[in-house]
Amino acid sequence: MAIRNLAAAIALAWLLLACGADRDGEIVIRFPGSAVGAEGELLARQLERFMDQHPGIRVESQATPDASDQRHQLYVQWLNAGLGDPDILQLDVIWTAEFAAAGWILSLDRFDPDTADFLPGPLAASRYRSGLYALPWFVDVGLLYWRTDLLEEPPARFADLGGVVTQVARRAGLPYAFVWQGARYEGLVTVFLEYLGGHGGRILDEQGVVRVDSEAAVRALSAMKQAIDDGQVPRAVLGWQEEQVRFAFQNGKAVLMRNWPYAFPLMQDGANSKVAGRFAVAPMPAAPSGEPTAALGGSLLAINARSEHPEAAWAVVDYLTRPAQMLDRAAQVGQYPPRQSLYQEGGPLQGRLAIPLAAIRQVIERARSRPVTPVYSELSGLLQVRLHEALTGQRDPDEALSLAAREMRGLLARKDLGPESDVAGDAAK
Amino acid sequence: MPRSSRTGETRLAWLLLAPALGSVVAIALFPLAWTVRESFHLHDLRSPWLGQPWIGWANYAEAAADGRLWLSLAHTVGFAAVSVALELALGLVLALALHRAVAARGPVRTLALIPWALPTVVAALLWRFLFDGPTDWLADPLRAWIPIVLADVWKTTPFVVLLLLAGLQTIDESLYEAARIDGATDWQQFRHVTLPLLRPALLVALIFRTLDAFRVFDLIYALTGGGPGTATEPVSLYGFTVLFQNLRFGYGSAIAVIVFVVTFGLALLYVRTVGAGLLEEER
Repeated sequence: MAIRNLAAAIALAWLLLACGADRDGEIVIRFPGSAVGAEGELLARQLERFMDQHPGIRVESQATPDASDQRHQLYVQWLNAGLGDPDILQLDVIWTAEFAAAGWILSLDRFDPDTADFLPGPLAASRYRSGLYALPWFVDVGLLYWRTDLLEEPPARFADLGGVVTQVARRAGLPYAFVWQGARYEGLVTVFLEYLGGHGGRILDEQGVVRVDSEAAVRALSAMKQAIDDGQVPRAVLGWQEEQVRFAFQNGKAVLMRNWPYAFPLMQDGANSKVAGRFAVAPMPAAPSGEPTAALGGSLLAINARSEHPEAAWAVVDYLTRPAQMLDRAAQVGQYPPRQSLYQEGGPLQGRLAIPLAAIRQVIERARSRPVTPVYSELSGLLQVRLHEALTGQRDPDEALSLAAREMRGLLARKDLGPESDVAGDAAK
Repeated sequence: MPRSSRTGETRLAWLLLAPALGSVVAIALFPLAWTVRESFHLHDLRSPWLGQPWIGWANYAEAAADGRLWLSLAHTVGFAAVSVALELALGLVLALALHRAVAARGPVRTLALIPWALPTVVAALLWRFLFDGPTDWLADPLRAWIPIVLADVWKTTPFVVLLLLAGLQTIDESLYEAARIDGATDWQQFRHVTLPLLRPALLVALIFRTLDAFRVFDLIYALTGGGPGTATEPVSLYGFTVLFQNLRFGYGSAIAVIVFVVTFGLALLYVRTVGAGLLEEER
């Protein structure tokens, strides 16, 4: 660590000499990110500390939309126009390949970062074709929330949903056994990914070949549809996103819920939640052919390829992704750090998180990134439509998935990203 | 009149018209021409490694083979036909009733306008809450249309009522007196006096509502998002997805051009059939 700090100090000193021509000798780094609420305040404090330690650099934060889609659109417009401003970009985990393939973000390998401590999932999401293009900032994972007052232990197999969970729901007078995000949006793909992994399938393989029409995938989608048709999952989920799902669970209407960690502290608040103190989290169930899978979300930090001050931008990224800053973030805004060392039993995170450390660790370690391909968003858009068609009974699961696979292959070919092309991405594990 | 002064007048006329023509070119024709130009290029903002080459008719070939596009066009036509028919029928009934009502006509007319004044997104969310929960229609490819059409009818019928009411008030009362003296029943009066004289107002309402319904966007965007699957997706929403979510400017422009040709054809058809009728009556 000391050596890295020294190296950073030397780099900075060199930088200050090289760029001394800047007006009032200060380098200005622009960093658009979430600027609202507790998250915005925390970031402001962290940047303040950074600037105290690095007098030559001023970091200006820029308010951008919090909604991921809107931020993406804004970034793409800026980067397409070849702007060097903003210097630092906050990427959603699914954007890395797109931005890297477009040449919009800098390979971070030149800074020789120490990545050994980062969790494998977020690190895979930061890579594109063996280059490192971002550093993980915080992670999100899909969790199975279960009612501790109704079940002895969380269901480990998908088959339990129709069995013990449904019986428990009926006996306790709960209308639903399980609720998840089923509206036609990105959330549906994350739920599908978890069912898919649980059945031993995947969307793309390592070579970037589309595998979404495999037998395992058909079984996974059929299981989702069957759960709705059998009434274990309410048909209403087909219009639900995270919040509607949370409301159903926190009003005591379901035994199980699939959601992200943000819901945990909200549902522990007895004033609004009927299930406070009566739920816990676990990994998603799996079928015998697969393993419990958690979709990975979260944010990465990357540097604009046209930034005029890449070294200074790197100093900011390096600072924000250090363990101390991540701990601060976890404790104050409940965003989970992507560093393995912090999750050790009795380590610094113990007692500082809403979710018990052991419970979140076993899920975070399994977190699986979504397909790493420069056209992920379009790919996901195609898949969302076909998944939703199958779940709403407009097509059979196997027909829907063969259509999705055909469209995805067409898309990859059209974008010159077929398996044999050299822009093709390393697919997610 | 000497020839030279006439050309002078013509020149003056062009000069006076120039600002108006200039703004039409700048606001309508230039963007249209640009969109047509884009539609012959490959221009994916998200895949800059492909460049922006001229690709001829490839975008149109893709459109021709794009099932989702044709389905969305069919949705749009179906939605426009059903909702406009309902709005005109209901609007006519309400306008006749309001026309007859003597007491409190002003307040009632104002109240009837409230749905029309409400922002579409607000109205759409309202109808969504009404149906999302008590029913699971929004997850049914056919029944999801019911709240959409109901919301549109609820929201835009007042507009039709207002237009028709204005039309009704221009009909001379003495015509009805004459009809009654001749022994015409209420139905005959409606059939042979009201309807023919209301035709211009009806046609204006029809044109406005059809063209409006054809570019329906916000209502469906907020109510069903085009789902389930793409079962309620209108062409404007699909175009939006291609252009602003997938950022495929070339293909999105091709879709926009196709929509333009269809609406333009529709408008032309109306002007030819309906507009001709209107002119005759003025003569």
